[in-house]
Amino acid sequence: MRSLRFLMSLAVLLALAVPMVAQSGAVAAKPATAPAAKTTTAKGYVAPRTPDGQPDLQGIWDTASITPLERPKELGTKAFYTDEEIKQYEKRRMNDLDRDRRDGGATQDLARAYNDGWFDRGTHLARNKRTSRVIDPADGRFPPFTPEAQKKYDEFHKWFAANPGNSAEDRELFDRCLFFSQSGPPLVPGNYNNLYQIIQTPGYVTIYSEMAHQTRTVPITRREKLPKDVAQWMGESVGHWEGETLIIESSNIRFNDHSHFGTQYDGMTDENLRVTERFTRTAADMITYQATVTDPTVYTKPWTIELPMEKAVGPIFEYACHEGNYGLSGILSGERVKEKEAAMKAK
Amino acid sequence: MVRSAKRARGIAACFGVVVFLASASASLAQTSTGLPRIASGKPNLNGIWQVANAANWDLQTHGPSQGPAAFGALLSVPPGIGVVEGGEIPYLPKALEQRNKNRAARWTDDPEIKCYMPGVPRATYLPHPFQIVQSPTAILISYQFGDAARPINMGKPSEAPVDSWMGWSNGRWEGDTLVIDVKGFNDQTWLDRSGNYHSDALHVVERYTLANANQINYEATLEDTNVFSRPWKIAMPVYKHVEKNARLMEFKCAEFTEEMLYGHLRRVPSAKPISK
Amino acid sequence: MMKKILSTCILGAGLVMAAAPVWAHHAFAAEFDANKAVKLRGTVTKMEWINPHAWIHIAVKDDSGKSTEWMVECGSPNTLLRKGFTKNSVTAGMELLVDGYQAKDGSNRANGRDVTFADGKKLFLGTSFTGAPGGEK
Repeated sequence: MRSLRFLMSLAVLLALAVPMVAQSGAVAAKPATAPAAKTTTAKGYVAPRTPDGQPDLQGIWDTASITPLERPKELGTKAFYTDEEIKQYEKRRMNDLDRDRRDGGATQDLARAYNDGWFDRGTHLARNKRTSRVIDPADGRFPPFTPEAQKKYDEFHKWFAANPGNSAEDRELFDRCLFFSQSGPPLVPGNYNNLYQIIQTPGYVTIYSEMAHQTRTVPITRREKLPKDVAQWMGESVGHWEGETLIIESSNIRFNDHSHFGTQYDGMTDENLRVTERFTRTAADMITYQATVTDPTVYTKPWTIELPMEKAVGPIFEYACHEGNYGLSGILSGERVKEKEAAMKAK
Repeated sequence: MVRSAKRARGIAACFGVVVFLASASASLAQTSTGLPRIASGKPNLNGIWQVANAANWDLQTHGPSQGPAAFGALLSVPPGIGVVEGGEIPYLPKALEQRNKNRAARWTDDPEIKCYMPGVPRATYLPHPFQIVQSPTAILISYQFGDAARPINMGKPSEAPVDSWMGWSNGRWEGDTLVIDVKGFNDQTWLDRSGNYHSDALHVVERYTLANANQINYEATLEDTNVFSRPWKIAMPVYKHVEKNARLMEFKCAEFTEEMLYGHLRRVPSAKPISK
Repeated sequence: MMKKILSTCILGAGLVMAAAPVWAHHAFAAEFDANKAVKLRGTVTKMEWINPHAWIHIAVKDDSGKSTEWMVECGSPNTLLRKGFTKNSVTAGMELLVDGYQAKDGSNRANGRDVTFADGKKLFLGTSFTGAPGGEK
C-alpha cells in the first residue's frame, strides 16, 4: 500500500508537479535574460504602492516552471541547485519530458497525449533555484498521511483503479471541469494556463486565474464568515497585510474523492483544513508566493510550497471547459464499451 | 414628463458649445454630480450588481405562461416589461423562424440549462449577481453563474484570436461612461430563455453609466447582419447589492448538469467504498 | 566528487519520472486505446479552437475513395494563442497527417499524438512566446 501511494505521488508529481519541458520553438525565442540566470530575489526590494497605500501586486503573473512539486528522494535535504546543476537539470528534463519523443512503447506514447507545442509549463527551473516546490518539511516532500487517512486513501484508490469510469462524479475534478489546482488555494501550477491577473481595489484583492476562469475576490477586512456547512471548491478567503506581505487565509474548502491542489487527495478531510497564502512582491517582475496547508485530519504535519510568480505580458484567454468537454463523454462511453466487450467474452 | 425632457434638450442645445469645450476635461463637468470615484477620477463601478427585471425570461414585453407542468408556479414564466428600445427585435425573416423554433424548444435547448457560459449581454441580466472589479489600470467582470468572467482590455484595442463564449472585450471611457466593445463570440449562446439568439457575427457595444452610488444605467447595442435587419438596443438599470455581507458565492452549475449530460453513460450499479 | 554523485542522482530521478504516466487535462489513457494505433491522412473540414481541448475534424479517404470524418483531440488552445495562432491558422482544405490512438468506444476519434503537414513538418509549433517566464516581457 505504501508503494501504491509512492506510485501515485510519482504520477502526481509528473502530472501537475513536474511541469515538463517546452518545445523547441519557445526555446529559440528565449531572450538572454532567462529566469534561471537571475538571483532569487532582490533583497530589500520595496513594492510600489496602490493609491490607497497597499504594496502593489497588480498585473499578470505566471507560475510556470519545471521545478517539481516534491523533491526527488535522492536529493535528501538539498533545497537549492547551484547554477551549474541547474543547467544540467534543465537540459535533462527538457529531453526526458519532451512530449514529442516517441520512445517508450504505446502506453507511454499515448500518455504523452499530443504535440509538445500545446504545453506551456515553462522551460526553466523556478527563479528561486529550489529543488522542489514543497519547502517544508525539510525533505521537500509531503508529510505522511495520518493512519486513518492512509487507510481511506488506499481503499479508495484500489477501488478507483478497478472502476475508472463508472460515472461523471467518479472522475477527477479536472475531468469534470469543476476545479483545477491552478486556481487554488493554494495555487499549484500545471501543464498550461498558469497565468493570473491580480487587481487591487480599496478593501479587496482579486485573483483571476486563467485556468477555468476562476476568480477569487478576497476582502481585506473582517466579514461575517460562511457557516461551517457551506463549503466551496475554492474555499472562503479573507486577507490582511503584514508589512509588505498579503496574507490570505482560507477555510470552508470543499473536497471530493479526487485531486485538489495538485495532489491526489481523498475526501476524508473536514472543516479543520486551512490554507494560508503569502504574497510578497520581491522584485519589480516577481511576487514570491508561499502557501501552507494545515490539515490535521489528513496530514501528520502542515506543509508549505513556494512559487515565484513572474511578470507576464498576457492577455489571459478564456478557458471554457465544461462547454466543450467531449473528453468526459469519451471516457465514460469507452468504459461502457469495454464492459460490453468483457461481457461478450465471458459468454 | 415630455415637457421636461424637451426643456432638458433645449438647455443641452444652449450649452452644447460649452459642453463641447468642457469635454476635453469631462471629469471637470461631471464631478459635480457627486458620483463616487476611484483614485483615477473615473466613476467607481466596484461592487456586486444585479438586475431586477424579467429580461432573462424574454427581452421583449411578455405575459405570463405555463412552464413545465410538474413545477407549477415555480418554473412558470413571470410577466415582464421589455427592455428592447422600440419594443421589437428586428429579426430577418429566416432568423425569426429560427427564433420561433428555439422558443418552442426553450425547456430543452436553452444553453443556460447546461450551465454554458452566458455570453454578453445576457450575463448582465441573468438572475445572478456579478461583480465589477475596477482599479485605475484594470477592469474585470466576474459573474456568479458558472464562475464566468471576462477581463476588459483597457489598453490598445486588440482582436480576438478565436471565438469564445464571453467574447473579446475592448473597453474605453467616454466621459463618465465605460464603453465596452465586444466581438469574437461563438454562435452557441442565446439572449434569453425565449429563444432570442445571435450568430458568431454578433457585435455588442455595452455602456455602463453610473447614475448614483447604487445604480448603473446599462445599455447594449447588438449588431449581427446574419440575424438582425439593423442594430438594436436594450437598456435597463442594474442595482448594487448594499447588504453588508454581499459577495459572489460559488455556483459551479456544471456539476448539476452531469446527470442530464452524462447520466446515460453511467454504469449501473455504481457504488464507492467511501462517500463524502 | 560530491558534484558527480549529485548529478547521478538527478539523472536517476529523471529516468524514473519519465517512465511514470503523465497527465493532460484528462488522462488520455482513459479515453483512447493504446492497442489501437491509427495513422490518418486527410483534409481539414473544421478546426474547433475550443477549450478544454481543441479538435481537428478531418475527412479521410480510403482506397475505394470513400470519405470518413475523424475528430482529432489536441491540447488547450490558449498555449497556441499565446504563440500567435488564430482561427485562421488551421483552415479547411489543409492536408494533414495524424498519428495517434483511436477512442476506446470505437468511434472515429483519435488523439493527435503527432499532427504534421504532408511534408512531415509539425503543425503545432510556436512562433512568438509572450506568456511564460522568460518570454518577452
